Amino acid sequence: MAAIDNALIQVNDLKKHYPVTKGAITKTLVGTVKAIDGVSFTINKGETFSLVGESGCGKTTTTKMILMSEPPTEGVITYEGADMAQFSSPARKEFKSSVQAVFQDPWSSLNPKMRVRDIIAEPIVTHEKVTNNEINERVNELLGVVGMHPFHAERYPHEFSGGQRQRIAIARALSTRPKLMVLDEPVSALDVSIRAQVLNLLKELQQTYELSYLMIAHNLATVKYMSHQVAVMYLGKIVELGDPKTIFGDPQHPYTKALISAALPSHPRLQREELVLTGEVPSPIDPPAGCVFRTRCPYVEEHQPDNEMGLVEVSPGHWVDKCSVPCK
Amino acid sequence: MSEELLLKVENLRTHFHTKTGIVKAVDGIDFELRKGETLGIVGESGSGKSMTAWSILGMVPKPAGRIESGRILYHGEDLVQKSDDEMREIRGTGICMVMQDPLTSLNPVINIKKQLTETLELEYDEDKPSLVQRAIGLLSSVNIPAPEMRVTSFPHEMSGGMRQRVVGAISISRSPDILIADEPTTSLDVTIQLQYLKLLKDIQEETGVGIIFITHDFGIVAKMCDRVAVMYAGNIIEQADVVELFDNPQHPYTQALLKSVPDLDDDVDMLPTIEGQPPDLANTPSGCVFRDRCPNVADHNPDLGMGLVEVKPGHFVDQCCVMR
Repeated sequence: MAAIDNALIQVNDLKKHYPVTKGAITKTLVGTVKAIDGVSFTINKGETFSLVGESGCGKTTTTKMILMSEPPTEGVITYEGADMAQFSSPARKEFKSSVQAVFQDPWSSLNPKMRVRDIIAEPIVTHEKVTNNEINERVNELLGVVGMHPFHAERYPHEFSGGQRQRIAIARALSTRPKLMVLDEPVSALDVSIRAQVLNLLKELQQTYELSYLMIAHNLATVKYMSHQVAVMYLGKIVELGDPKTIFGDPQHPYTKALISAALPSHPRLQREELVLTGEVPSPIDPPAGCVFRTRCPYVEEHQPDNEMGLVEVSPGHWVDKCSVPCK
Repeated sequence: MSEELLLKVENLRTHFHTKTGIVKAVDGIDFELRKGETLGIVGESGSGKSMTAWSILGMVPKPAGRIESGRILYHGEDLVQKSDDEMREIRGTGICMVMQDPLTSLNPVINIKKQLTETLELEYDEDKPSLVQRAIGLLSSVNIPAPEMRVTSFPHEMSGGMRQRVVGAISISRSPDILIADEPTTSLDVTIQLQYLKLLKDIQEETGVGIIFITHDFGIVAKMCDRVAVMYAGNIIEQADVVELFDNPQHPYTQALLKSVPDLDDDVDMLPTIEGQPPDLANTPSGCVFRDRCPNVADHNPDLGMGLVEVKPGHFVDQCCVMR
């Protein structure tokens, strides 16, 4: 999809299935939750790749695979060209310091009993042998980078506002000089006027340090503002993929269109044409055969939902699941 | 055509007396709500928007908090003067709050049927089967499919969207005049949020209920509201019809807020931001509460007390930036 030499992470036909068992002693398999079921994409160096979709679509599971919190069921993820499943112990350790995460809730993501200095230094201390002086220098530098001051290092998290805590979380994530940061709803718990500050900080950091971001956000406008590539997920599959201008300006998949139409307007006169989906999202234990979106798709009569899913390139860099491709 | 006035808030002040000082959560606000109208109260954390709702509902946390002064006129009577029992009655039948988190506002160990009939029997003196029929009817009116089966479910057996609708059903079960919705859609997926907002609009069209929508999301304001009041540090700094507010925001805080929100329909490299933090409510600046963050303070009159001035018919702005 993109030039291979610019790729930081490549995901190939990734699957993660969780068995559902019944019985406490003799566990019988009663079903499988297909959290992700064949997902492929590339995260380029210095770029933001966003996963968009609603609860249960598989975006959080995808980040877990990339963070190596759990092994995939099938499929290959490569980091700088190397298969992550084949990492030796030192390579794995190095990877863990190259990929860091910032989570949604700035209240529960920082240990309330630790001073800010120790919170930010923790990843450094885990991965490197450093003297106390070096730690202090690095912590102060990082605080400056996120727009805070050295004297903040002595304080505890509860002394700060939500936006400041998120900055501390970002400083901590930067401390090991990562190449990739996983951002899971980085600003949705913050006040409106603070979101812009934090988003701008993330953008600046990306430019300064050639950072890649894998971002999850439900606010489409935030996704558009931050991303270079967007993948729309539904029930464990990617249904559309491309750059934000194309995805939001010329969406092809009915689910993408529904998501966009559900986005709130930016002005009372700009009401979007509504595409209200009927029904609820089917259970990932028992997804529909063929096109997983078929039970809610308003255009299913005109499509080919019995075919196996797969992305087709409808224009350079713009991929849509083949079920809906003839639909206009 | 002027619709019937449902609620009139006059110079409301709700303060908290704490060891470290008096926290002026709400400090002199005025607004009205008419039948069939949706008023948005927009602000960030600490602006006083939620405390405004609690004040109207007579639920200001005691003993530290109390309504210091002002009137809340409802059906010609001042709610500030009402007793706890009287307010409890009003909260059920007249002014209802729709909670933000349906998971915590629904009792997890009681099924939906019981939770609905509990409320209904306060209004309708009927036998059990008849109340259950009403409950099923309510669930149907909020578009819950197969309501006769759903009615025996427990909250955890339902999706987030369904729970929100059940909470919505409970809120309208006694046909209130006024619904107060405090960030009811924060935890919902966007398509479910849309269904829920449409539901509220449908209920409003059918019953003429007045809605006060408390939110920090201008998208919700654009979609749902007829009029908007923008709050900052316990004060309303601007109030107008929704189109007028988006087209001609006058107060620097309103302008900055609107500009700092990413727009799906627009392209911008770097979002403009507001410097600084909201003030400590126990220690607000004298005069204009926004003076320490206002980029235009040099051209204004920050020493004047806070107070709204009508700059155009129906459009009110705090006098600090209006008086020359």
